[in-house]
Formats: sequence, structure tokens, C-alpha cells
Amino acid sequence: MKQHTRAAVSVVASILIAGSLLAQPRPVDTGTGQKLSSSSIQIQPVDPGDVPLPAEFSVAVYENLITQIGKTGKFQHVYRSGDKDAANAPDLVTLRMTAQSFKKGSQKKREVTTVAGSSSIILKVHITDHTGQTLVDRDVQGKVRFFGGNLNVTYDFSKKVAAIVRDQF
Amino acid sequence: MDMQSEVSNASIAISPLRASPRIWVRGLFFLAIGAVLMLSSAPARSQASGTPSSAPSVVQADVKLVIGGNTIKNNSKVTLSVVGSSLHIATNKTTVEVTVPSILDIFTNEDSRQDITGAAHFATMAIPYGGSRVLSLFSHNVDVLTLEFTDANGGYHGAIFVLGQGQAAPIKKQLVAMGAKASVPLEVATQTSK
Repeated sequence: MKQHTRAAVSVVASILIAGSLLAQPRPVDTGTGQKLSSSSIQIQPVDPGDVPLPAEFSVAVYENLITQIGKTGKFQHVYRSGDKDAANAPDLVTLRMTAQSFKKGSQKKREVTTVAGSSSIILKVHITDHTGQTLVDRDVQGKVRFFGGNLNVTYDFSKKVAAIVRDQF
Repeated sequence: MDMQSEVSNASIAISPLRASPRIWVRGLFFLAIGAVLMLSSAPARSQASGTPSSAPSVVQADVKLVIGGNTIKNNSKVTLSVVGSSLHIATNKTTVEVTVPSILDIFTNEDSRQDITGAAHFATMAIPYGGSRVLSLFSHNVDVLTLEFTDANGGYHGAIFVLGQGQAAPIKKQLVAMGAKASVPLEVATQTSK
């Protein structure tokens, strides 16, 4: 009986330990565990690469990201690509995005079936400092499964990138 | 004789003095008329030369600005018009002007949109027996106009508009004719979207 109890306790303990390990936040990309700091960020337009990404999705990603990064409050200045003032920023970090995959679903299918027609976009998010050193390098996915237009994937994506920025800076 | 000559001389001498205010008045009168004519002709000339620029060549009302209107809220109803050498994005309160030289690229695409959106869409979810799903079947084709441009500081911007079917092409055509850049020609865009 005691053996059964010990076994049960050990199983529960191991489950709890495993759960706590899984629940731990992902290690930061910097590897030091310290938060990054910068007063300004410049966001470059999406590089579609070989992915046939429609222009409206690329533009929606960019504009949503400008808004969401601004909302984080982590930077005094959020510069658009090509902004002349960015050259004067001493500790400027640059965010670049490269398309990895894109699936344009169907709003009609989503709403009629609720299981088909989902849209998704995966972009590689690369943040570098002014010396070119990589600070963040992650694949981020934006999805819309049930309701809303296909462009909502760009909103979902930008919210996730803003969460990463909030976490790292 | 001398007296008369003196008097006549005096009268002669006085007459220019008396006439000078009249001349000045006439001169001023003609100057005023000239000034009025010059001022009135100036706007007339600019209007004449500016008639094509001030009168919008292409106007599309009831356009949905999805995103990228700067001071205009997302999902606002706007009027797009090509005026002079710029595209005007106007609401009742404000107008955003995008000059043709600042346009980096223009894209047109076709898409479909649900007829019932927003709060009304969620209201339809209360319809029993999956009635909202039946309503979701009703959608209509629309044109999507995507614009990439730079601001005065060189910063990159993008804007997306949803128009009625067949309404995006005339705007793109007009902007391209005025010198705006477009990586995808209009003919190719219409062929690929079909």
C-alpha cells in the first residue's frame, strides 16, 4: 500500500515538475536573460521572398505592426522605412520581416463550415541593433480561424510580434 | 502788354498746377483699373490653367479605407479623387493628399466580402437553425486597391481600399497616366485577378 502511495506521489511530483518546466517562459533570444534597451526602432517592409504574398497583406502587416509596436510604449520613436530622421538615432534597432509561408483562406468557408477556410501567414522576424548584431530571430505565425476577413491574419501577426517586443525590450 | 503776357504766362504757369491733381486722379484711376484687371486676371489665368487640376478627373465615393489613412480612422468610408497631380482621400472632416511622385507602387486585386459585417454579423448569430451560416453564403465581389507611397520625410506608407467591382482600375489607370509607378501593369493585373 505504501509502495503504491509512494509511486503515486512520485508520478504526481514528476508531472508537476514537468509541467512547471514546460510552463517556464522561453529563453530570451539574447541569451543573457537581460532586457534589451533602445530608444528607437525602424521597421522595414515585408520581404516576400519566394512566397506569393499579395500586396494588400504585405501592406496590412506593415501598417498593423507600426501601430502595435507604437502601442507597446517601449520606444520613443517608431520610424518607418526610409525616414530621414532615423539616421540620427544613436541606438536604433531595425526590424525586418521575410515571408515564410502564406495561405489565403476563405471567409465564406470559415463562417459556413467553421472548420475549413482558415488563413495563415508565417514571417521570419529579425531584429538587429545598429551594429547589425541579431537581437531577435523568430518565425511568427498569424492566423484567422473562425470569424473575420482574411486580412485579420496581419493583425494577429502584429499583435504577436508586439508581444515579443514587449518581452524582449 | 507785359502785364497781359505776365498774366497769360501766369495762367499758363498756373494751369499745369491746377491740372496736376486731375492727372494724378486719372492716373490713379487707370492704375486702380489696371490693378483690378491684373488681380482679376491672375486667378482667371490660374483657373484656366488649373481647370484640369482643380476639377477631379476620377472620383469614387463610398470607398472603404481598410488601413493606412494616417489621420483617417481605419475602416472609414472615404471618397477617392484624382485632383491635379495627387490622390485625395477625403472624409467629411479631413482630406489626406498623396502626390503622384510620392507613389511607389499601385496594386489592384479582386476579393469577396460578406454583405453582413461588424455588429450586425454577430447579431445574425442568434438566428436559430444555423441561419447565420446561410446568410454567410451571401457575399459579393469587390476590388482591392493597394497603394504604397512615401511621406514628406521619406517614410514608407501603405494604404488599402475596398471599392465596388471594377472601380479600382480607373483610379490606377489615371494615376499611372500621370506618372505614378506601378510594378504590375493594369492589363496584367486584370488578367491575373480574373
